[in-house]
Parts: sequence; structure tokens; C-alpha cells
Amino acid sequence: MLTAFARAFRTPDLRKKLLFTLGILVLFRLGATIPIPGVDYANVNQCIKEAGGNGGLFGMINMFSGGALLQLTIFALGIMPYITASIILQLLTVVIPRLEALKKEGQAGTTKITQYTRYLTLALAILQGTGLVATAQSGTLFRTCQVGNQIIPDTSIFRTAVMVITMTAGTVMIMWLGELITDRGIGNGMSILMFTSIAAGFPGSLWAIKQSGKILGGWGEFFGVIIVGLAIVCLVVFVEQAQRRVPVQYAKRMIGRRSYGGTSTYIPLKVNQAGVIPVIFASSLLYIPALIVQFSGNTTSGWAQWISTNLTKGDHPVYLALYFLLIVFFAFFYVAISFNPEEVADNMKKYGGFIPGIRAGRPTAEYLGYVLNRITWPGSLYLGLIALVPTVAIALFNGSQNFPFGGTSILIIVGVGLETVKQIESQLQQRNYEGFLR
Amino acid sequence: MTEALGSTATPESGRPEDEADELLDSKAKKKRGGKRGKKGPFARMGLFYRQIVAELRKVVWPTRSDLMSYTTVVIVFVAVMIGIVTLVDYGFTNLVKYVFG
Repeated sequence: MLTAFARAFRTPDLRKKLLFTLGILVLFRLGATIPIPGVDYANVNQCIKEAGGNGGLFGMINMFSGGALLQLTIFALGIMPYITASIILQLLTVVIPRLEALKKEGQAGTTKITQYTRYLTLALAILQGTGLVATAQSGTLFRTCQVGNQIIPDTSIFRTAVMVITMTAGTVMIMWLGELITDRGIGNGMSILMFTSIAAGFPGSLWAIKQSGKILGGWGEFFGVIIVGLAIVCLVVFVEQAQRRVPVQYAKRMIGRRSYGGTSTYIPLKVNQAGVIPVIFASSLLYIPALIVQFSGNTTSGWAQWISTNLTKGDHPVYLALYFLLIVFFAFFYVAISFNPEEVADNMKKYGGFIPGIRAGRPTAEYLGYVLNRITWPGSLYLGLIALVPTVAIALFNGSQNFPFGGTSILIIVGVGLETVKQIESQLQQRNYEGFLR
Repeated sequence: MTEALGSTATPESGRPEDEADELLDSKAKKKRGGKRGKKGPFARMGLFYRQIVAELRKVVWPTRSDLMSYTTVVIVFVAVMIGIVTLVDYGFTNLVKYVFG
């Protein structure tokens, strides 16, 4: 089975794509280690060591940026601005008629929406960059650190502007890298970059668990966590692969002297049709209130207090409940925008297909909607629970909240891994090789 | 399964709940009927729950060997990627340390 990996590298065009993707990833990691100008590199490093990788308010976002955020590197903002921008645009598409019209326009409209997403990303990057630089200057980025307010020695406006511009440019560059991967590499660029960022944090957090553990010098916790992680991976793969197959029968027809169709296939409706998108959306949306507090620079008023006590810790009940609800909501939302029963029913009708026992056209669309609605409920609950259960378990056992095997990161890692492997697999099969997944 | 589906093909009945109501009833051999939309919220929730279970029964779950091979491949892939990223990170961190102090 594993020889298939080697075979993938022996196929010329596939090898090119894989190497291209890897090259981009190396660039991405390089950007995540180069500090922005005006930062005292030694002080930042000392503070990170003292904080022990636990970013407090920035924990989640730091994980998503692959540790680049706290180090104040040129890719510090990561792909979060882009993701937030695309969520906002997708939400707006439902609300604003003009955007909806653009979406229905097809290729040209989608290009326009992508363009808007990029502009919004730029705006968000400037916003977040300014916020981040401001917190770093005031010393609140590392509250416990002695030299926390000496991270940025020069606080003149010119310096600040340079830093914000650098970070914004970095974010735009990441956006471009992601699109390059989507176009010329393997898999979806954004998910791959996200995957890489989270993967970068894994070894460090695992090692931190070993260091802070007590059983057998930490090895007990170390292997315990790995075993639990593997079990969750198994569970995630199990549900991701589950499909409700709606049978479709194609009418046989004669065109000239040849007969076409007459085959029976099925429409695969996954139990978790939305994939990992709801988890990414929910976690980045939950970060926004904290971002607002941080940006307003107001930490004493009532609402700011409430947000920073309830919404910034991954193990707070309010946070968990909100997270769960958002995941369920986004699961339905994303299924609704990505799978259109009317369109599928229409296409089936055009090509002479029908679901046995259901009339073509509207009843078919209704039936698909019916099945999808019923199947998405358990799917969304599963997503929410997986995202929460490890967090709860760790809170019970007094672990760190930014546990590497938190449900969110596992869902993203496994989801993206599965998707990418399948894409490599399908490319291998196009060239008549048997893939890894027999 | 086709027979069960057959009962859903009521063309003008409109709302899917009613179709499925018949679907389930025909399966469970319960008495048909009840005026549509006049059930209480709990009855409707119960019905919805039973419909969810009915759909879940039709889901094709991966077999044991499928599951094992997918899991292994994903774990290997993830492990390789983590390895590569860690290696690259290690190199870059040292490089940056060398350059910036």
C-alpha cells in the first residue's frame, strides 16, 4: 500500500504537482519564521519561552497561524483573514441580492466574488495587523513576560506603519500561495496551508505534554495522548467515509443504432456532507469578539470583561456551547450552499435519470432535500461533539487548553489529509495505477 | 428498499414530512393518517427523530478493511507531512537565529 506513495512520485506530472506543493509549503514556513522589521527578536524569543507556547487570548489563532503569530513574523496573521473574509462573503451572498445574482451568473460572477473576497481580506489584514502591533507595543501580547513591553523598541508612527504593511503584504502573499496550490498543485490551497500551520504546532505541543506529565516521566501522558488521538482519527475517518447512497436509474435510449444509458448509479450523500468547513468557520468566528476587544483597547468596560472571561478560553462552558451551536449551524449552512437539490434534480432529468419510485423534477428535488436534511443532523452533531469532547476531557484532567489533539485540529488535519490523499489517488488511477486505497 | 421508496412518490402531496410519514408508516405497518400539520411539536419531533434513524439505517458505513486502510494512509500521510514541516521549521529557525542574533 505504501509503495503507492513511491509510485506517485514516479509519475511525472504528479511528481511535479507534489513537488510544487511542497515547495510552496517550504516558502510558507520560511515566511512564518522571518520576523517583521522593528521587532526585538531576542526579547520575543524569551517571552515565548516564558509563556510556554500558551498564548492565552491568542491561543487558537496562534495555532492556526502555526506559531507565527506570537513570534511576530511576516506571515503572523496566517490565512485567518482570508478565511474570515470568505465566510463573510458567503454569508452576505445569502443576504445581499446583488451578490446572489453574481453567484448565479456562473464563472464571471464567481470571479467577481473572489475579487471581493481578496479586497475584504486586505482590509481585515490591515485591521488585524494594526491590532496585533498595538498589543505588542503595549506589552499585552505577553502579559506575564518581564520584557513584554520591550518587544518593539521603536513605537514611532513610521515604524508601526512599516510593520502593519509588512504583515498585510504577508497575508496577501499567503492568499496567493494558497491559490497557486489550488491551481497547479494538489488539493485545496487554503486547507493545505491550514493543515501545515496546525501540523507545525504538533511536535512542540506533544513535547510540552511529555515535559509537564508525571506518569513514567511524562511518557505515560505522551503515549496516552497519542493513542487517544489515533482513536479519534479512526472515528473521524469512519464517519467521513459514511455515505447515504440515493439510487439513480438512467433510462436506456437509442441514438441511431447505439444504445446509451440504462445504467444504475447512485448519488453519494455523505453523512458529514459539509466536511471540515463548519469547524474552521465556527472557530474563526468565535475569535472575532476577542479581536474586537483587543482592537478597541478597552479592557475595563462591562462587555469587554464579559467577552474576555467567557469567549477567550477554550474550556469555558459559554465558549463550548457557542462553539457547538455555531458548528451545527454552519454544517447546515454549508450543505445548503454547496449542494443544491433542485440543480441535481434538474441535471438528472436532463440526462434521463430518476430515483426509482420518485418522479423526476420537483419531487426528486424534494426527496433529496428530505434525505439531506435528515442525514445532516447526525452529521452536524458528530462534528460538534468531536470538536468538543477532547477539550472537555482535557479540562477534566487539567490539561492545557490548546492541546494539539483538540477536536478542532484533529478534524482539520484528518479531513484535509483524507481529501488530499483521495485527490492524489484519483490522479494515480487516471494513469491506470492502483492507488493506495484498495 | 424500492417498495419503501415507492410509497413516497405521492406527486402533489407537497411537503416531504408527509411523504416520509407515509414511508415510515408503510414500513412500520402503523395506522396511516392524522391530518397533516395538526400534530403536536413533540409528536413531530419524535417523527423527525425516527426519520433520522431510518435514513441512518440506509447509510453505507465503511467496512473494517476499508476503515483500516484509509486510517493507515491518513496517519502515514499526516506523519510524513508533520515530519517534513518539523524538519523545515527546525532548519529555518536556526537560520533565522543565526541571521538575527
